[in-house]
Order: sequence, then structure tokens, then C-alpha cells
Amino acid sequence: MDQRNNKLGWLFTSPYLIYSLIFFFGPLIWSFFLSITDWDLIAPTFNFVGFANFMDALQDSSVHAAFWNTYKFMMIFVPLVIVLAIGVAVLVHGLHRFKSLFLIGFFLPYLSSGVVSALIVKGLLSYTSPVNVSLRSIGLDINWLGSPFSALCVVGAILAWKFTGYYALIITSGLESIDKEVYEAAAIDGVKDSQRFWRITLPLLYPSLYTTLILAFGVTFGIFTEVYQLTGGGPGHATNTWQMEIFKQAFQNMQVGYASAVALLASVATFISIFVIRKILEIWGKRNGWV
Amino acid sequence: MKKKTPILLTAVAALGMLSACSTGQGGQAQTGNNSSNGGKVTTIEFWAAPNPTQQAYWQELAKAYEATNDKVKINVSAIKESPTSEASIQSAIAAKSAPTISENINRGFAAQLSNSKALVPLDTLEGYDEIIQSRSMTKTIEPWKFADGHQYVLPIYSNPMLFGWRLDVLKELGYNEPPKTYSEVLEVTKKLKAKYGDKKFLWAKPDLADPTAWKRWFDFYMLYDAASNGNKFIEGDKFTGDEKAGTAVLTFVDNLRKENGLLSRQVTDPFENGTGIFTDVGPWTFTTWAAKYPNLKFNETFALSMPPVPDDVDPAQSKTFADTKGLVIYASSTKEQQQAALDFIKWVYSDAKNDAKWFEQTNLPPARDDLSTNDSFKVILDEKPQLKPYADNVPNAVPPMDNAKYNDLQTIIGEQAFNKVVKGEIAPTEGWAAMKAALEKALK
Repeated sequence: MDQRNNKLGWLFTSPYLIYSLIFFFGPLIWSFFLSITDWDLIAPTFNFVGFANFMDALQDSSVHAAFWNTYKFMMIFVPLVIVLAIGVAVLVHGLHRFKSLFLIGFFLPYLSSGVVSALIVKGLLSYTSPVNVSLRSIGLDINWLGSPFSALCVVGAILAWKFTGYYALIITSGLESIDKEVYEAAAIDGVKDSQRFWRITLPLLYPSLYTTLILAFGVTFGIFTEVYQLTGGGPGHATNTWQMEIFKQAFQNMQVGYASAVALLASVATFISIFVIRKILEIWGKRNGWV
Repeated sequence: MKKKTPILLTAVAALGMLSACSTGQGGQAQTGNNSSNGGKVTTIEFWAAPNPTQQAYWQELAKAYEATNDKVKINVSAIKESPTSEASIQSAIAAKSAPTISENINRGFAAQLSNSKALVPLDTLEGYDEIIQSRSMTKTIEPWKFADGHQYVLPIYSNPMLFGWRLDVLKELGYNEPPKTYSEVLEVTKKLKAKYGDKKFLWAKPDLADPTAWKRWFDFYMLYDAASNGNKFIEGDKFTGDEKAGTAVLTFVDNLRKENGLLSRQVTDPFENGTGIFTDVGPWTFTTWAAKYPNLKFNETFALSMPPVPDDVDPAQSKTFADTKGLVIYASSTKEQQQAALDFIKWVYSDAKNDAKWFEQTNLPPARDDLSTNDSFKVILDEKPQLKPYADNVPNAVPPMDNAKYNDLQTIIGEQAFNKVVKGEIAPTEGWAAMKAALEKALK
């Protein structure tokens, strides 16, 4: 019976195993192989270069920029999107009618094309756009995409706009799962309305918030379309990201070996960062007694 | 054995999934020979530029050629742009599904491909010399020779990039024609700023501050080619830039910045909307203008000119950058396919009418020496006078470098010198020195 269950277990897990083999482990091994060569995938021959690609990448200023910019985007994007998502979720949760309709409305930006939204923003931030003309008329002349900080903020804001609805959906489901009796019991115990959110809602929302935060942090390691369309990684390397760097090296400079090395470094950075963030979030939850 | 069963099961299922993912068409099988109808038919895959006009042009010619030669079948399809046409070609070669021949290849990308032995040197194929003779392109193709002495690209069009000037604004400022030298341009800038303040700029273009490699073709190279009499900036693996000309270009840009004549911020259609009065203009622009900005009329609201030159250079000798793309034949195809592809091209270019049709449909000047003298093109140039300055300047246009690292190298030009000068972050001479040092390091 155990043997039979064992086989059935393998059978049922085989789709995931196959998926992982084909789309994860296979490319990972292939990527590592490429990273120790100078191959461009086109030339009939190539040389093994050991860890030279990794050493070069570690000394490359644009790779450094991609590394640090990820954390800069995190600082802008994560707080913004979480605050907005909680705000939207609380507002929608309080509605008695058309809850789903509003949620779908907020979710729509997530389905929109990054290229289209970036182009719209490009138009809005044009020197001659009504927005900028109005700002100049009151003495505010902002070079939105031309200065490092504002360019980071613009990209961070677009991403926040895009992901708010999606995260609001997760948080709304968290809010829906909080039993109303908890609030009633708290009211009897003398918890004021102003304390309700911080003392009851937020702690009970922790599992949903944890998921949302991990997803939001993860997004910052995969930024590409918005940066590609809006800033190209500039000004200078101010908005360069891991994905931009990999794209540039692989598809513009045709240095596939080097790009693979950068991709592996990006994977390591992502893995370590997400691991650390997870630990911090768990400690935060435990310290507050939410877990 | 029992332990191996689940592993075997997983492996079989994986193979099944992989085979399900396959299209069942190997790259070479698509471009192979077909003997189904008795005679040997050579099938060639032709990848056209990803725009309907060019795709239709090549489809029409392919059909016409097939009607005259039943031993060849030509499948024309557009190059996919996912995410760029270059990346698609690169992926196709890597996946062994490259076409036999494709158009839309610039010289820098061709250098990358030839460096990886992915292209056939066209001059080694039988009939190549006949194409050059019959198409009357001996002079035009000369600067296309690669550092190894071979020709890997047959240019279809050579488009001398010109600067457009808002003639209506120039007239308001008291000029009847575009300025030709740096001093004259600066004088126009001063008058423009005095009249319009921050509402108009001489040169309004976000790309001026963007280090993306190809953007240098449409600012730095145009000015540099004009100032240096078409000097090769990088030849093979050597930096051969003309310091005097290069510094003059950067100083000119710096002076425009000091006069507040540059706007490198995000701005939508600045020339068309009149925010800028000077910009690079390619002939592909006119179709868009006709639909979107019908107020822009040649020699009424805008004029075209070769790039301005330093004061000590004769404007009549001005050179410019050649925005030019051409055909390449891929080394992964069979010898029969390579020859069949070249024979098709020979047939296309044996008749000037095919080039005339191209010119008429795309507005892109065919890469020929006789564009402004051959009667086949006269009707088109009479109908579209805005194309005449392009036709006249085909011999004055310098193609891009043939270095496989062109992306890196041109990014350096922007990052170390041009973009910084535009933003006032570096003095022109220091910018030139920093750029030269970085280029020489990258070329090693």
C-alpha cells in the first residue's frame, strides 16, 4: 500500500517536477554554463573564461547601479503601494454595494500594458504638457525624467498605480476573513473607533500583509518595461535595473555569457534579499504577537 | 528497479511535454530543398523589415521572381520585434532557425553578426559584382567595405540624415534660409531666445541627454561627419577620431546650451509643435507629417539642410551620417540557398524600376550613385521635392562604424562626452579627452 501511495505521490507531483525541470533547473544550468563562457550563442566556437564574467560584472558600474537601484525602488514603491492598497481595501471593504465593481476597477491597471501606461505618462510629463505648463506658471519647473530622484519616483509611482488594485484584492480578502464578532467584542471591551484599525484590523491582517509585502518586494527585482520605455535606465544609470542590464548585455551588446553572469548575480541578490526580508517580517510579526 | 519507476515516469512525461511544445519544424527543414515536384526547388526564407510597406514590396517582388524561375520558392515574412528585430535575429540564429536572407540590417549589427561568423561575405558569391555594376552603386558601396576587406551587407537604402529647420520661425527672426555655420546658428539661437524665452528652443530633443547607443547617429555623428569631412571615427579596432572636429562639435553644443538653446527634457513632437526649430529629419517622417501635421510644408514651414559646420569649414563640403540598412545572407543556410538568394537580389536590382518602386513606396533613397541623374527616379523627385535634398546627398553620407562593439562604443560617446556637455556637466575638451580614453580602453 505504501509503495502504491509512493507511486501515486510521484505521479501527482510530476507536473510540477516536470515544470521545474524544464523551466527552472534546465535554464539555470544552461545559464551557469553560458556564464563561464564568452559565447554569444551565434558564433560556432566559444571559450571557457572561468569566473571572468562574474569578476567583470562585480566591477561594472552599471551592475552596481542595478543592484542599488533595486533597493531605492523598494524604498519608494513598497511603502507607497502598501499604503495605497490598504487604503483602497479599507474603503472598498466599507462599501455595502458594488464592492466587486470597485475592486475590478482598481484591478484594471494591473492588466494594462506597461508600454501603454509608460507612454501615457511620458506624454503627461512632456515639457509642453498642461501639467508642466501649469507647474511652470507657478514657478515649479520639474525635470521629471531628467533628474535621478524624480525619475525613480516616477517609475515607482507608475508601478504603485499598477499594483495597488492587485494588492488591494489580497488585503480585501484578508479584511473579509476578520470575524465581525472580534470588533463587537473589542467595542464591549472599550476599544475606541480610532484604535480599531491599529489594535485589531492590522494585527489580524498580518497574514495577508505578509504575502503582499513579499510580492511587492519581489516586484522591484523584476522592473523592466516601465524603465525601458520611460528612462532607458537613465539619467546616467539612475534607474538602471537588473532586468535592463541583462537585456542590454544580452540583446544589444550580444554578450550572452556576461549577461548570464549578471542574471545569476541578480538571482543571488534576489534570493538573499527576499530571505532577509522574510525573516524581518516574521520577527516583526512575532514581536507584536501577530503570529 | 522500483525506485527507478517514478523517475522514468517523470522523464517520459517530460519528453512528452517537450515534444508537445515542438512545432515539428526544424529551422533548416523550413529553408531546405524540396524535390516534390520533380525538379529541385530551392526554398529561401526572406525576412523583411517589420513594417507592412516593406513586407508588401518584397512579397510582390518574390512572387514576380517565382513566376520567372520555377526552381525557387521565396517565403517572405516580417522580422519579429520581440523585443527588437536584432534580438529576434539573434535568437533565430541561436535556435538554428535563421532565415536565408534578411533586410533591415545596419552596419554595426552586421559587424556583430560577421564577427560571430553568422554572415556570408557577399563578395564571395557569384554574381555579386554584377549587382554592384547593374545597380550603379560602386561609389556608394565603397565605404561599406568591412575592416577584413569583405562586404557583408548590400545596402538597400542610404539615407543621408538632414537637419530640418522651422522656416516659418526663421522668417520671423529675419532669415530666409537655414544658417550654415556654427556662428550663424548661435546668432539665430540668441534672436530666438530674445523673442520667445523659454517657449522655444533651438534644439529640443530628449535624446540629447540619453546615452542609448543608436541615438548618437542622429546628433553627434551628423555634426561630427560634417565638421570632419566624413572622417571615420573608429576604423576597425582603432580610434581614429578627428580631435579638432570633435572638440568643435562639443564646443558648439556647449555654446548652444549656454545660450539656453537646448531642451533635453521629455517633450512631445517638439519640432512639429514648434518648441524646437532644428532637428534631424529622415524621409520616413514625411508620411507621418502629412497625416498628423499637415501644416508642415516643405520650403514653406520647414526647410532641409546638411548639418551646420564650424566657421572654418566650407558648408558646401558638409557631410552627414548615413542612416542605411541593407540585406545580408546568413551562413547557416545551404550553399544552394545562399546562391539562390543572391540570384534573386541580382534579378531585383537588374531593373532600376524596382528601386524606383521602393523609393516611391518607402521614401527611403535607394543606395545608388545615380539617384539624382537616373530618369527612373526623376518623376518621384519631381512629385516629392522634399526628397531631392536626400537624393542629392547620398554620396555625402557616411555609414556607421563596422565595429562589433558599436553599442558599447556609442554609449561611451554619450556617457563620457555628448550627454554631459548637453547637461553642462563637463567642458568640451575634457569630455573629448574622457571619451577618447574610454573608447581606446574599450577597443583593446
